[in-house]
Amino acid sequence: MTVRFSRRAAAKGLTAAAVSPLALTACGNRRPEHPTDLSQSDIDKAMDTPTEISYWTWTPGIEREVAMFEEAYPAIKVNVVNAGQGGGHYAKLRTALRAGDAPDAAQIEFYMIPSFAITDDLVDLRPYGADAIADKFADFAWGKVLGENGEVWAMPQDAGPMGMLYREDILSEHGIEVPQTWDAFAEAAAAMREADPEVYLTNLLPGDGQFFDSLLWQAGADVFAGSEGTTVRIDATSEAAEQVVGYWSELARQDLVSVDPGFNDQWYQAFNRGKYATWVAPAWAPTFLATAAESTSGNWRVASMPQWEADAPPVTSIWGGSTSSVMATTENPIPAAVFVQFLNSDPDSAFAMATEQFLFPTTKAVLQNPDFTGQEPDFYGGQTVNQVFADISETYLPDFTWSPFQSQVYADYGNTVSAAFTQRGDAVAALADWESRITEYALNQGFTVEGS
Amino acid sequence: MTAVTLPESSETKRQRRSLGHTKRPSTILTVAALAAAAYFLLPLFWLFVSSTKTTGDLFSTFGLWFAGDFSLFGNISRTLTQEDGVFLQWMGNTLLYAVTAAGGGALLAALAGYGFAKYRFKANRMMFLGVLGAIMVPATALAIPTYLVFSEMGLAGTRWAIILPSLVNPFGLFLMRIYTESAVPDSLIEAARIDGAGEFRIFFQVVLRLLAPGFVTVLLFTLVATWNNYFLPLIMLNDPKLFPITVGLARWQGQAAAGGGATGDLIPLVITGSLLSIIPLVIAFLFLQRYWQSGLVTGSIKQ
Amino acid sequence: MTMTTTLDKRSAATGGRPDAKRRFKPNRSATGYLFVAPFMIVFIALFLVPLVYAAYFSLFREQLVGGNAFVGLDNYARAFGDAALGEGIVRMALYFFIQVPFMLLVALFLALVLDSGLIRLTRTVRLAAFVPYAVPGVIATLMWGFLYGPDYGPLTQVAEGLGLTPPDFLSSDLMLGSLANIVFWEFTGYNMVILYAALRAVPTELYEAAAMDGASPFRIAWNIKIPLLRPALMLTLIFSIIGSFQLFNEPNLLQGLAPDVINSSYTPNLYAFNLAFVGQEYNYAAAVSFVLGAVILAGSYLFILLTNRRSRS
Repeated sequence: MTVRFSRRAAAKGLTAAAVSPLALTACGNRRPEHPTDLSQSDIDKAMDTPTEISYWTWTPGIEREVAMFEEAYPAIKVNVVNAGQGGGHYAKLRTALRAGDAPDAAQIEFYMIPSFAITDDLVDLRPYGADAIADKFADFAWGKVLGENGEVWAMPQDAGPMGMLYREDILSEHGIEVPQTWDAFAEAAAAMREADPEVYLTNLLPGDGQFFDSLLWQAGADVFAGSEGTTVRIDATSEAAEQVVGYWSELARQDLVSVDPGFNDQWYQAFNRGKYATWVAPAWAPTFLATAAESTSGNWRVASMPQWEADAPPVTSIWGGSTSSVMATTENPIPAAVFVQFLNSDPDSAFAMATEQFLFPTTKAVLQNPDFTGQEPDFYGGQTVNQVFADISETYLPDFTWSPFQSQVYADYGNTVSAAFTQRGDAVAALADWESRITEYALNQGFTVEGS
Repeated sequence: MTAVTLPESSETKRQRRSLGHTKRPSTILTVAALAAAAYFLLPLFWLFVSSTKTTGDLFSTFGLWFAGDFSLFGNISRTLTQEDGVFLQWMGNTLLYAVTAAGGGALLAALAGYGFAKYRFKANRMMFLGVLGAIMVPATALAIPTYLVFSEMGLAGTRWAIILPSLVNPFGLFLMRIYTESAVPDSLIEAARIDGAGEFRIFFQVVLRLLAPGFVTVLLFTLVATWNNYFLPLIMLNDPKLFPITVGLARWQGQAAAGGGATGDLIPLVITGSLLSIIPLVIAFLFLQRYWQSGLVTGSIKQ
Repeated sequence: MTMTTTLDKRSAATGGRPDAKRRFKPNRSATGYLFVAPFMIVFIALFLVPLVYAAYFSLFREQLVGGNAFVGLDNYARAFGDAALGEGIVRMALYFFIQVPFMLLVALFLALVLDSGLIRLTRTVRLAAFVPYAVPGVIATLMWGFLYGPDYGPLTQVAEGLGLTPPDFLSSDLMLGSLANIVFWEFTGYNMVILYAALRAVPTELYEAAAMDGASPFRIAWNIKIPLLRPALMLTLIFSIIGSFQLFNEPNLLQGLAPDVINSSYTPNLYAFNLAFVGQEYNYAAAVSFVLGAVILAGSYLFILLTNRRSRS
């Protein structure tokens, strides 16, 4: 069998050698025409036809929610594939899209939606009834899955409105109040260093573009505001951006905050050993920290993100969160679209994701469900953490734009502004470098670039 | 000066060993060599110590010594039962990939090495050099074109996408050619021919036996290379059921390091899984050490 | 690919192989092709075809906006003017000159010591040195990453316990050394075994006489054994050149620990990877890979030329 197989493979390989890259590319770009108008009976018919679809996701234990879908639609079988996450997931997804091997649906993070939309890899879910379920979702999530012309590119799964986790014991030991504003935060940072040189008030995660985005976002520094289609507007040196970067740059230079890279063992150790008194972090952080810093259980509390304006209503931004989208290469758009809608909007499925997988919900129903908001985890001394974040999520700023090549933007951030933070150099000056790198890349990729 | 290594070298080895016994061991050299050994074992010691710790202890106790709780067995059982025992499946996959690739790879290398060494044909040198030249281009960034070609052949996403490329081992080819030149006397082949044996019969019944030590060497190197293969399966395989252990562990590691959900608890599994995954290779080395050394003996001296 | 040409020449020059043997190649070319066919077919289908296709692919430019177009050698022209690529290559050359000689010297030292019978516990030392080769690079980097930790890493804690100032292994000054150490750890034993096995094959008569004459073990090692190891050293060196310039896994995994030090173009291979999968510049990434392949080829060729000249004189 081996022999026969490899001989056939070799023969096909030689054939493949003869075809041009255009032919190969074309086979990947062979996109089925997707309907723009569907009746309910079309949908019902498709959902009663036995079909297998595949879904790439990194959410552990999602089989539970998938089973709910399969129970509701017994004709449809969903193959769940955990193909990894982060950069590896997107690399594989891009490769598979090229070759025409992509799944019918895939999990992607909010910030990647424009990047997959620009390459025509996503199916607009409006013809499949997405608009009808729009009001099930909280605004902060729904607003971020929409395209420029109102397309619905994905279904929100989980999100991360920003707040702040803090060590109640450390702050009270040194008589430091929970800072409400960034001014107070800077003072507290200095006070903390004075009180205990082993402890930093917080760690500025360098290299994490999404965290940096959340800081810009909260200050109203919308770097790609006004970008549309193939025109990209870049303004990385706005007053708001310089304010944010200048603030953190100064704290870093004076060694009032640490600049340790995150999500590695040193960082977990630092939490366990009390190096950081706060973590400016999103709604998914509480669960994450509870396993990563087990030994500090009971000492943490949750509060709002510090504010730039003391008197204005508080505002917050979002870090992370993900969605389910339907890939344009699918032959089964109806089952795939109904699946991603069910998975994220069905009350039972959404509730299970919030309470079994501990993902921060994006549906109004779960955000208001007392069984969710009333949880009192011991790690946070019995505080109703979910309630705090549900309230915070109401204060999010709607205006923030991701570029259609956001991972490149983060990579360039890492080489410029982030590097300046870590080396305690002039990060404000690095903003211009960041902007020029993004500009050069965008021009290379054929975009029209408009400056500030 | 290199014309010394026909298979009688095991004879010389024995002589030399007795010679070695007459020397007085040097304390300074022993200490230096043991220091080197300690250096090589240090990370593995860390790995062992860490796999005995709970998540909490892992991040709050000194890394090079044991913590109060000895949870090695708990960690092992968690590793083996996580996601319905997918770890064992990964181990099984790795074993399958490594063993088939090693066996097939060594056979192909032996056949080709023998062909290049003992037959004169037009494209001989060109093909041989082509193989060596091809490995100089790094394949990492060529994943997309490679994947497209593999996908076109219907290989992408299947076990064959891992096994077939692993059959080609340029280092093995190199070694087998040199080995054949030194270990297989032409007179022997000629004698067999006079007896009327066919070319392939000569290879399988006469030559292969002489090549055995070199064969085992290539087998082992291919085994290790396939066992440790990371990037090719990462790109080629989507289904976790087909993952080898390296990709599986990297996925757990990625999951542990990403925000969202309760995932920090996976880190002890990555560590314990790493420990478990290298044990079979260490055993394979110990077991095949004898052959493998004698295989290299004739191989490497003769280039 | 010039490696073998030269190696053949070398052994011919030193009379390593009787010429008669060389002439004995029965003119059974069909059978010859049959023997190499299985290997060559797999090689052509799974290595050469993708490679040729990638080379073809590198002549195009596909943009996010504007589609795909044939651009000839534009991507190569861009690569030659690309400062990030140039820096990466220079960095790898530096890395090569730090890492490889040290690794091979230690491997040689261990091989000579083990071979000399001058130490106790030979088997333990040999196994300890070789075990790291059995550890996947991914796991090796993970382990060293933990050990390197600047605050709570065990090495730092030991240093602090002894009242020393611990070095920051992940700082920009030391990163190249820290990477070199990981590769050193992984491959010293492997190279040691190749050299050791070569030494075991040297017949004792060659230096027994010298030993009788009262030559010290060190003199014997220097004057007799090391010259005999030249071919084996050559092989390990060529493969080290390839390995150095293609460095990818270790920096890729250490990036998470020091994102500001290991930027996206830290090594040329990492750069090509990031071009492809972060920036979606697949065609340019392919061109960069081929440029890197050419650099490795040139490096190997230059190296063989130099050693050959020295061995002739």
